[in-house]
Amino acid sequence: MSEPINADELALLAASFEAIMAESPGPGEADQALIDLGWADLLDASPRQAAAMAFSALGATGSAASLLDDVVVSALGVNVSPQTCVVFPAPHRAEAPARFGDELVVDGLVSARVESATTAVVAFDGEDGRGIAGIDASLLRERAAGGVDPGNAYRRVSLEVAAAAIEPVAAGGSWESAAAAARVALAHQLLGGARWMLAEARQHAIDRVQFGRPVASFQAVRHKLAESLVQIEGATSVSQRCLGDLNPLLAALAKSLAGQAARTTAAHAQQVLAGIGFTAEHRFHYWLKRMLVIDTLFGSAGSLPEEIGHHLLSQGTAPRLIQL
Amino acid sequence: MDPETFRRDLGVWLDANADDLTPPYEDTGSMEESMEHYARVKRALYDAGFGRYGWPESVGGLGGSPLLRAIVGEEINFRDLADPNAWTMIEVLAPTVIEFAPPELAARLVPPFIRGDEMWCQGFSEPDAGSDLASLSCRATKTDGGWLVSGQKIWTSFIEYSQRCVLLTRTGEPDSAHRGITALLVDVDSPGITYSPIETMHGRTDFAEVHFDDVFVPADRLLGQENGGWQVAMDILPYERSTTFWHRGALLHRRLSDLVAQVAASGDHSDIAAKALGQAFQSIVAFRSRSRDTQRQLASGQPLGVETSIDKILITTAEQQLFETARDLLPGVIEFDDGLIAAQWRTDYLYSKAASIYGGTAEVQRNIVARRLLDLGPES
Repeated sequence: MSEPINADELALLAASFEAIMAESPGPGEADQALIDLGWADLLDASPRQAAAMAFSALGATGSAASLLDDVVVSALGVNVSPQTCVVFPAPHRAEAPARFGDELVVDGLVSARVESATTAVVAFDGEDGRGIAGIDASLLRERAAGGVDPGNAYRRVSLEVAAAAIEPVAAGGSWESAAAAARVALAHQLLGGARWMLAEARQHAIDRVQFGRPVASFQAVRHKLAESLVQIEGATSVSQRCLGDLNPLLAALAKSLAGQAARTTAAHAQQVLAGIGFTAEHRFHYWLKRMLVIDTLFGSAGSLPEEIGHHLLSQGTAPRLIQL
Repeated sequence: MDPETFRRDLGVWLDANADDLTPPYEDTGSMEESMEHYARVKRALYDAGFGRYGWPESVGGLGGSPLLRAIVGEEINFRDLADPNAWTMIEVLAPTVIEFAPPELAARLVPPFIRGDEMWCQGFSEPDAGSDLASLSCRATKTDGGWLVSGQKIWTSFIEYSQRCVLLTRTGEPDSAHRGITALLVDVDSPGITYSPIETMHGRTDFAEVHFDDVFVPADRLLGQENGGWQVAMDILPYERSTTFWHRGALLHRRLSDLVAQVAASGDHSDIAAKALGQAFQSIVAFRSRSRDTQRQLASGQPLGVETSIDKILITTAEQQLFETARDLLPGVIEFDDGLIAAQWRTDYLYSKAASIYGGTAEVQRNIVARRLLDLGPES
């Protein structure tokens, strides 16, 4: 275990991470450079701080570096490496992406990391409970990335893998804790992206003149942008709360709130950007589409409240979670 | 004192004294009953020491971080031991009076307030000065040894039960706006003060309309500087939005827990119910987390400012969402049912409609966020 990182070092690293991501924004392009910069060690030493920093940078730069694989692998207690990728749960879900009976039935998502990886880590539910398996990553490469955001390179995978082709993986951490770590990381990415969208809309509102004055002077426009900031700040605070001990319920709340803030901000920013925001020329659509994809990973703002509410109903009460 | 140790000790004491501290009335009680009980709880906390922490020794406190006061109100609200609105007045008014009153005046007047022996009220809003508070016109004119106050205030909570009132008056020219306002600490039993209760739509009469007719206020009751009252008013806002919001957030949390328990007991474990509860809960958690950051900032001595408008919008949203959710998930209860539980939901539902109006409307808060935090330039 390396030494935990302090805030000053983290701020310096954040600047370096953002620079690398901005330079190599394509799917998986920045992965090796970030690992060379110490991403894996950082994740080992201060996993939550490292993920918060790196995923905020992903959101702000619009980079499609495949860092989510590393967050999950690290939380599972497996070595972080560019040769290791992860099968993520199917959209809007967080449970294990595979079932194991006579063979391994996989239905999930993979990132661009699948292109460079040799091994894919898959969590599965079987008769003997939950387990973690390794499979040959090349099995997952058959389908090219498509969908709404090909630039992000997440793709849906479903296949059956023969029992003989599965390697057991010695995982030190549980799938639940890995899913919680992924949710918090993705919350930071959503919020980084939401802040970018809000900044674009704000600048446009100030620069764009109609009826002889900046559209930022109209209350209807101001209130949309204000509402976006309020939701971003509320969600950011909850995401920051997850930097300490990771509580799975709080992680679910952080992801849900961040997703909601991103949805609200995307809708308001789109409206304020108006015509130009609807063009392919303006960069807004990249962030909008990225947000659509990231929101669905490990449970969305549409699906998480239900999961959270069922948890409350099963307990018959609402835990306090936040203490002074 | 370590906040968590304090909370644990307080919890033990509250549980041990639950019989004395639990309201003797059912539902919310009458105004008289709830004010009397509030004073009893306040006094018991003071005598046990818990109610003195977080207040300076100069006004009868035992010192320590204001976080300790936040914890006392939180635990009181989680246990539903006293009227939550009565509890807010001391947190809104006392810190500002301690800061702006001459020290000897604060040392004389504030201790009975902290002990629960006195109640204070706040005379800010006027019939023609609501959102536009700086246009207030209740006039204070210099006279021998003090001021003569004439004019009108509205939405003055608890004046019927109060001994003192923190009053904003016009001392500059009528159009001097925020530059010509002076804050005074007025005795409510002064000759010339009359008030009449305003009955609200949720069935309580905790507001009043107040008339001032040549009311004499001694010169030593000046808070801050002459014509410096706007600074006093602005100083109050962050207190209103830190400790009292934290207290109210605890109340909302308890009511959400009540709702979860009621819905679970009714056997409704549907996805629709779960989703609505999850959404209501996440709004409360977002507020509580934000409010915790604000409390910590206050406790560390950093000034609070316009960013507390975000806290205000978050709590308003959470409160209205919670009680709309209750209305949906307890079908017909608010509209038709009798009994204590229904009456409580009904009262809370109706009162939640005020949340986007009092303390600066939802629109004013968003204007502040747009102008001051997003720097969008002037409004057209």
